[in-house]
Amino acid sequence: MTATATILPNRAKRNLTIAKAMAEALAQEMRRDPSVLVMGEDIAALGGVFGNTRGLLEEFGPARIRDTPISETGFIGAAVGMAAVGMRPVVELMFVDFFGVCMDAIYNMAAKNCYFSGGQSAVPMVLMTSVGGGYGDAGQHSQCLYGTFAHLPGMKVVVPSNAYDAKGLMVSAIRDNNPVIFMFHKALQGMGWLGTVQGSINDVPEDAYTVPFGQAAIARAGRDITIVGLGATVHLALDAAEELIANGIEAEVVDLRSLVPLDRATVNASVKRTGRLLVVDEDYQSYGVSGEIIASVVEAGTVLTSPPRRIAFPDIPIPFSPTLERPALPSAEKIVAAVTDMVRGGR
Amino acid sequence: MIPVVIPPDLWEGDAEGAVSAWLFAEGDAVRAGDLIAEVMVEKTSYDVTAPADGMLQIRIPAEIPFKRGAIIAAIG
Amino acid sequence: MTPTRPQFLWMYETMVKSRAFEERIATAYFEGKSPVFNMANGPIPGEMHLSNGQEPCAVGVCAHLDAADFVTATHRPHHIAIAKGVDLDAMAAEIFGKKTGLSGGRGGHMHLFDARVNFACSGIIAQGMGPAVGAATAFKLRGEKRVAVAFIGEGAANQGAFHESLNLAAVWQAPVVFVIEDNGWGISVSKAQSTAVPHNDSRAAAYGMLGHRVTGNDPAAIFAVAGDAIARARAGGGPSLIEIETSRLAGHFIGDAEGYRPAGEKDALFARDPIPALRGRLLAEGMMSEAEDLAIVKRAESAVEQAIAKARAAPFPAAAEAFDHVFA
Ligand SMILES: Cc1ncc(C[n+]2csc(CCOP(=O)(O)OP(=O)(O)O)c2C)c(N)n1
Ligand SMILES: [Mg+2]
Repeated sequence: MTATATILPNRAKRNLTIAKAMAEALAQEMRRDPSVLVMGEDIAALGGVFGNTRGLLEEFGPARIRDTPISETGFIGAAVGMAAVGMRPVVELMFVDFFGVCMDAIYNMAAKNCYFSGGQSAVPMVLMTSVGGGYGDAGQHSQCLYGTFAHLPGMKVVVPSNAYDAKGLMVSAIRDNNPVIFMFHKALQGMGWLGTVQGSINDVPEDAYTVPFGQAAIARAGRDITIVGLGATVHLALDAAEELIANGIEAEVVDLRSLVPLDRATVNASVKRTGRLLVVDEDYQSYGVSGEIIASVVEAGTVLTSPPRRIAFPDIPIPFSPTLERPALPSAEKIVAAVTDMVRGGR
Repeated sequence: MIPVVIPPDLWEGDAEGAVSAWLFAEGDAVRAGDLIAEVMVEKTSYDVTAPADGMLQIRIPAEIPFKRGAIIAAIG
Repeated sequence: MTPTRPQFLWMYETMVKSRAFEERIATAYFEGKSPVFNMANGPIPGEMHLSNGQEPCAVGVCAHLDAADFVTATHRPHHIAIAKGVDLDAMAAEIFGKKTGLSGGRGGHMHLFDARVNFACSGIIAQGMGPAVGAATAFKLRGEKRVAVAFIGEGAANQGAFHESLNLAAVWQAPVVFVIEDNGWGISVSKAQSTAVPHNDSRAAAYGMLGHRVTGNDPAAIFAVAGDAIARARAGGGPSLIEIETSRLAGHFIGDAEGYRPAGEKDALFARDPIPALRGRLLAEGMMSEAEDLAIVKRAESAVEQAIAKARAAPFPAAAEAFDHVFA
């Protein structure tokens, strides 16, 4: 083929990175609702270490865009109190790995006050936090901990894989009357210094919109196997699905988007069609998301043509050296190998 | 054809920059003012916006170094 | 307490060595990170926090410690590790993620451990303080004359662990010294923006312990104050808190564009770089000749050169080694 076909623009897209989509959602909700404010370390003048609060200080000023001391127990606890009296605070825990210093405010108060008050006292707050590794930052700055948060009742947990979902999930999170843990993956932020997964950049409508919680997305349709992912692993699954075409395998990719509530129905319906299930999770393997998804499918009585499998981070702290970390992470290659084996190997 | 030029004074010195991510693909329709690329120079990143409405033609793909003043794309 | 001439020369040489080490680390860190600065790439991936400018804190304190004393450091640990006598070759190899590293490449730059000299690290702000209280209490329980020192940044003084550890150390009269390296910044947030009191040494009083502030980023002044505090702790006189005014000559991490720094701050800090200052003093007071200076610099540079060369040449750990040492 000599002349390339002209690609006709059928509509104007407005592509954004997840960082920019998050900042836009925050700004729009802050304009709409004066009770929304943002607190965290380096979120004001710096615009967030991961870029998701850039530009907000300039528009909303330091009373509503609050740089905090390195006092997570203090300011996340403060968010619980603000929420109790009618504000809608959004707080940032810079890396999810730091939850150790402030978990009581999160899981004993934010997550339980509604219940213990018999519904009198809702906690409408958002905790946004970065997750994920693969860039050599070692195990105090690279974990996902999806399962840790999703395990504890009383908080909603969402994990966007692209900018469209990030904006819509953030708007939903701010408007929700419950604590929402918004976990964004560093590799998807669109910050050059963390690499950029191209697939995370997509069309984001200018006006505010919501992406409802508890609705998984079929990121790609296929009939031979269901690959379930979340956050960054969705893109690994999509890459793998593309490669698997050459092996004559059509993989369906389900993007969970939200862990609490979890859309078991979409997963089950997909597996019912394909008969096979592979879960790809960057969080630790045991007692986590991958086990929960497999259990949900098995409990539903879905008939499988091969035993379900999972690719997750092994149960070890995340090591620093690239020759230790990278092979331990999920990858498109691992997915291709597992899927090929499951479909072709007849197992 | 309107060139997308990296302003010659965007950064000082003769360091090379590179696009860390193109936000649109070759041939995509863009609107004036749309953020189309993020450019990194050493450790700093800059936003590049479309100078006009039209179809994006990428001249310098991501991660390929260029100097200040380079034409990284055209809008046609 | 004034340093003796050998102590002065040790402090100087250690500062020079730490600076030279970090210069080589910075060079290596940038390899593979151009034109796009992607942290995942190059021989040293991940975050890199340099301590240049803060060397006086490490040497002024560690001059009073030996291998048996316990030290905890932070995400910015190189100068402290070097002053505490952590094996330089193994430390360099660790930072390059090699099999010959302190931890076989598992920890990297923010998690340097050398049990041989009782050195430990954590990248979580203020979390080295509790372990320092514990080690010190163990020494006291066993009747040993050892002490523990926890190094933290001034930003850590607003963390719960700081306040809990101070109180605990005082209640238990633990032989521990808390050292705050006050470089004025916690990433982009200044001390004035984040801290309710101008100086953290004043917080010591709230926990019934002695607090000191050392200004000028001067190794001799730090040596004097730290010497008293450590001697007191060793003698059973309990804990103390020292806040040292120091300077972060680099960004928070490599890659930090430092847009938040007021204009001129960096120039002013570089004009007060503690290494040329100490060098000038030693030469002026006749404690060191030009020839001795040259020899010291050469010795430090060659130790660093060797450590880096060995680290670069060393093999990477095999993937399966990731599964070792999860448990003892
Ligand atoms: C509990 C916790 N919160 C936040 C961070 C992220 N963080 C890493 S270094 C840093 C600033 C620390 O400032 P300071 O204690 O003054 O030390 P410096 O970096 O100046 O050496 C922050 C906020 C962390 N590592 N741990
Ligand atoms: Mg500091």
